[in-house]
Amino acid sequence: MRARSASAPKFMNLSQIRFPVGAIASIGHRVSGVLLLVSLPLLALALDRSLRSESEFEALRDLVSEPWRALLLVILVWAAAHHVLAGVRHLLMDIGVGSRLSQARTSAWAAILAAGIIALAAAVRWLS
Amino acid sequence: MRVSIYRFNPETDAKPRMQDYDVAPEAGDKKLLDVLMRLKTMDDSLSFRRSCREGVCGSDAMNINGRNGLACLTSLPGLKEPVVLRPLPGFPVIRDLIVDMTQFFAHYHSIKPYLINNEVPPERERLQSPAEREKLNGLYECILCACCSAFCPSFWWNPDKFIGPAGLLQAYRFIADSRDTATAARLAYLDDVYRLYRCRTIMNCTEVCPKGLSPSHAIERIRLALVRESS
Repeated sequence: MRARSASAPKFMNLSQIRFPVGAIASIGHRVSGVLLLVSLPLLALALDRSLRSESEFEALRDLVSEPWRALLLVILVWAAAHHVLAGVRHLLMDIGVGSRLSQARTSAWAAILAAGIIALAAAVRWLS
Repeated sequence: MRVSIYRFNPETDAKPRMQDYDVAPEAGDKKLLDVLMRLKTMDDSLSFRRSCREGVCGSDAMNINGRNGLACLTSLPGLKEPVVLRPLPGFPVIRDLIVDMTQFFAHYHSIKPYLINNEVPPERERLQSPAEREKLNGLYECILCACCSAFCPSFWWNPDKFIGPAGLLQAYRFIADSRDTATAARLAYLDDVYRLYRCRTIMNCTEVCPKGLSPSHAIERIRLALVRESS
């Protein structure tokens, strides 16, 4: 039995699976966490530089005038917003708050939409 | 009606393929399983499990248009065509829609799915109050179809270590039973970074349970019981 299973195929094509909204909120939490982790050293460096002098602060602000850099920042704003919102949702569900399916669906939609709106607001601020 | 089915015969196929069928459901065909049975008469090489045909045995669990469910409980009206049928995700495929459930049942057996009570048995049955019996509702109805575990990302990535939603729901069924005296040992077994805590409360399990049960709620109760025990 074990030998057969080792060579047997498995259906595991994620693009052919219809994920519920809770799964999308959860994978978004993972992806945003990775983005934040990877960008944290750069963001900390940027904060350090921005606090040194007004001219350094302005120089950093000028960096964002380039659209692709602004887009990166918008993605990080989404990551921070989604990670916090989906993370708080998970914490509350861990203690039994909003852990019924209907509530969990609503809170997943709320986290996804709120993070999207926050990212949109950042895009309007930096990209327009 | 067009149905697209995952086909794999280990004796003749190097890898799985999808096969399309056109079938005309007849008046008495109400559920997806009826159509599968009709297809079986057209192509007897098509393999799938089925038995009770009424959502009790749990043997015809499969991935239906991207979500796990029981063919016998899936109504034909409202099914988007082509109806795409694949085996339960993450499980080794034996043939077509039949998967190897050895690992799944190994997890089930690991949680000791039976009443443990070494006290002297009463002359008649062990009695429960209505309130104690009520605690088993939503737990005892599980038919072990594996729709939940095969839709759980944590189970996909750690099928050998994470007990999975079905096994954990069954574990809580005995933890919650007032007649069982092994609660401490059961909780100690589950208190493990993989066995229990791989659950990330994604709730895919509850989304697809064909019996309307909530494995995620059972897992939450186990976690809270462990917290209470350690404080």
